[in-house]
Amino acid sequence: MDHQQPPWSVSGSSQSPRSPSSQPYLHVSVIDPVKLGNGVQAYISYRVITKTNLHEYQGPEKIVIRRYSDFVWLHDRLFEKYKGFFIPPLPEKNAVEKFRFTAEFIEMRRLALDIFLNRVASHHELQQSEDLRTFLQVDEAVMERLRAHENGLFKKPAELMQIFKDVQSKVSNVVLGKEKPVEESNAEYEKLKHYIFELENHLAEAQKHSYRLVKRHRELGKSLSDFGKAMKLLGSCEGDSLGKAFSELGAKSEVVSVRLQKEAQQLLMNFEEPLKDYVLAVQSIKATIAERANAFRQHCELAETMKLKEINLDKLTLTRSDKMREAETEYNQLKQANEEAKRRYDDMVRLMNEEIVRFQEQKTLDIGVAFHNFANGQARLANNIADAWRSLLHKLESC
Amino acid sequence: MEHQPPPWSVSGSSQSPRSPSSQPYLHVSVIDPVKLGNGVQAYISYRVITKTNLPEYHGPEKIVIRRYSDFVWLHECLFEKYKGIFIPPLPEKNAVEKFRFTAEFIEMRRLALDIFLNRVASHHKLRQSEDLRTFLQVDEAVMERLRAHETGIFKKPVELMQIFKDVQSKVSNVVLGKEKPVEESNSEYEKLKHYVFELENHLAEAQKHAYRLVKRHRELGKSLSDFGKAMKLLGSCEGDSLGRAFSELGAKSDLVSVRLQKEAQQLLMNFEEPLKDYVLAVQSIKATIAERANAFRQHCELSETVKLKEINLEKLKLIHSDKMREAEDEYKEVKEASEKATRRYETMVRLMKEEIIQFQEHKTLDMGVAFHNFADGQARLANNMADGWRGLLAKLEA
Repeated sequence: MDHQQPPWSVSGSSQSPRSPSSQPYLHVSVIDPVKLGNGVQAYISYRVITKTNLHEYQGPEKIVIRRYSDFVWLHDRLFEKYKGFFIPPLPEKNAVEKFRFTAEFIEMRRLALDIFLNRVASHHELQQSEDLRTFLQVDEAVMERLRAHENGLFKKPAELMQIFKDVQSKVSNVVLGKEKPVEESNAEYEKLKHYIFELENHLAEAQKHSYRLVKRHRELGKSLSDFGKAMKLLGSCEGDSLGKAFSELGAKSEVVSVRLQKEAQQLLMNFEEPLKDYVLAVQSIKATIAERANAFRQHCELAETMKLKEINLDKLTLTRSDKMREAETEYNQLKQANEEAKRRYDDMVRLMNEEIVRFQEQKTLDIGVAFHNFANGQARLANNIADAWRSLLHKLESC
Repeated sequence: MEHQPPPWSVSGSSQSPRSPSSQPYLHVSVIDPVKLGNGVQAYISYRVITKTNLPEYHGPEKIVIRRYSDFVWLHECLFEKYKGIFIPPLPEKNAVEKFRFTAEFIEMRRLALDIFLNRVASHHKLRQSEDLRTFLQVDEAVMERLRAHETGIFKKPVELMQIFKDVQSKVSNVVLGKEKPVEESNSEYEKLKHYVFELENHLAEAQKHAYRLVKRHRELGKSLSDFGKAMKLLGSCEGDSLGRAFSELGAKSDLVSVRLQKEAQQLLMNFEEPLKDYVLAVQSIKATIAERANAFRQHCELSETVKLKEINLEKLKLIHSDKMREAEDEYKEVKEASEKATRRYETMVRLMKEEIIQFQEHKTLDMGVAFHNFADGQARLANNMADGWRGLLAKLEA
């Protein structure tokens, strides 16, 4: 199956499947959700298809079976190894139990996973990840071992969240003045952080109201359907022209009702989902911000420790102590560690600056498309509904 | 103020206010609701304006102040005196306490009372009622005395309902075979009764769903408004073109939301109210059906009693009893009462036949108008909404 872009996004590989084979390409897709297992052990498995001509890969096409926790494994590894990059977000883990296996939920999750994988595969750095290659090629048994094994080394998502929360609370401890403040004083970065945190709140509100809007469309549709049925009943009990009028009104109400409920579904796919996706992306950025704060603090702490060691070394050098050699070795080690930490931090800053630009551009496009679809969908629905009611007017006039 | 037929109805007086004064006319209207009194004693009073050239009335124009219980008094008088006629229904007495003085409820009630009075004033028989003339002309103090005084003689609505229920239970007792069945065996009337009872059920369902439909329109409108506000907040936090896009989306959502909630109100007035009115009318017909069953039973019982008295009288004549004179008087009395009951019953049957035809015609017209308004309103709302969203599309592309 051909590589499919997310329906609302213009991101993704810009290479056509028909480009000459000399052009490097990597197409991925997530399809065919299947429910496996029983009872509480039940889960959904997906087929992941890779088509590529890159030589690091084992062949032009590969199909593997993956489940949600395999995607989580990949996400965790990317997050660990590519600090400074905004790792594309995964759909949320927890779902209300009773919706976990509805057709709608399964399809939305499949789509979100497909989008995640495509974003990874089209990111200039992330697509070169060895873990990505592993994810796309190893068979199920190997994948299961990897997943189980590295649950020990790399924290489970819950524990990752805990680390994140620890970092967050560390940040707030600093803010509350409980710890010596170790924060970057960079006005532009401050602006970015402030913007991200404010954006997250507003997005969460917007997403909540979007979801409610979809629900209200459905409820109106259902109500119109009940109304139509009641009208039809009245029509069957009346006679002649009045009975016909009631029946026509009932039939038309049901037609409009179906359209309304279909539009609710479309609204969900075309607008509420991109919004949810945007929320997750912002949370991913927050995680990166937390990581950067971590790296900065490490770098600062090491720099301080290094200074102390330098002072100590100077003291020992002056007194020609026999502890001097040991202290010198320690100092060199620390100096190296500090330089590494500084490099790591500088890399993160540089990467984040690029990522922010990329993120803004992508988001503007994606949301623009989402709005267009929303307004278009609403306009088309409204016109359909208007036509349906006008045709009823005609019928009533002839009753 | 000119006589106004109900907004969804084409019934009502067909005489133009500008007809030559030799043409008899009677125009009534209920306007200007005003809240009076305090706390639990608070109530709404209305102005009732009568314009007429009928000689029975005190002059070309009269304005009086009336409250809901005065209308109830009039309704009960008519119900008592015009058996066989479908008395136009009153809006319901009980309202959820917290809605009793909302602007919406007050206006809907005023409208319903205006419709009630107009229907009475345009009914060929009811308009001649002396009680109607009283209602339209006496001052407040007199009206209050009448209302209080006749609450004794004519039962309060609650007790009227109790009588109705007694009649109903009498009917069901008959049906259950607890009493000797005394029912008309008239297949066409049976069909009518069956139709009315079935109609009442379906109408109640329809009215319930129409009310819910109005509620869902409102909820969707409110949700769209919240959505719009959230979008605007996002717009204020983003910059440039994206921020503008969010703000435009927010503004447009607000606009569409206002239209939706206005339409919900229109839906209420143009469709749910006529439906509710229809339900009350059918209940009024049921009350008349019960009255007719009453009258029929009285007629049957009296006829039987007459026969028994006749047989007894013959017996006494044969034996030349001294009780004969007494028995003869009794027999004459019962015979007269029986004839009266029979006449009352036959009048009811004749009236009901006419009433049913009137009812069907009016109802067809009224519902036709209501449906037209419903479909028209929905179509116009949908087109407005479509234009709103297309306007947004144009702005987004810019």
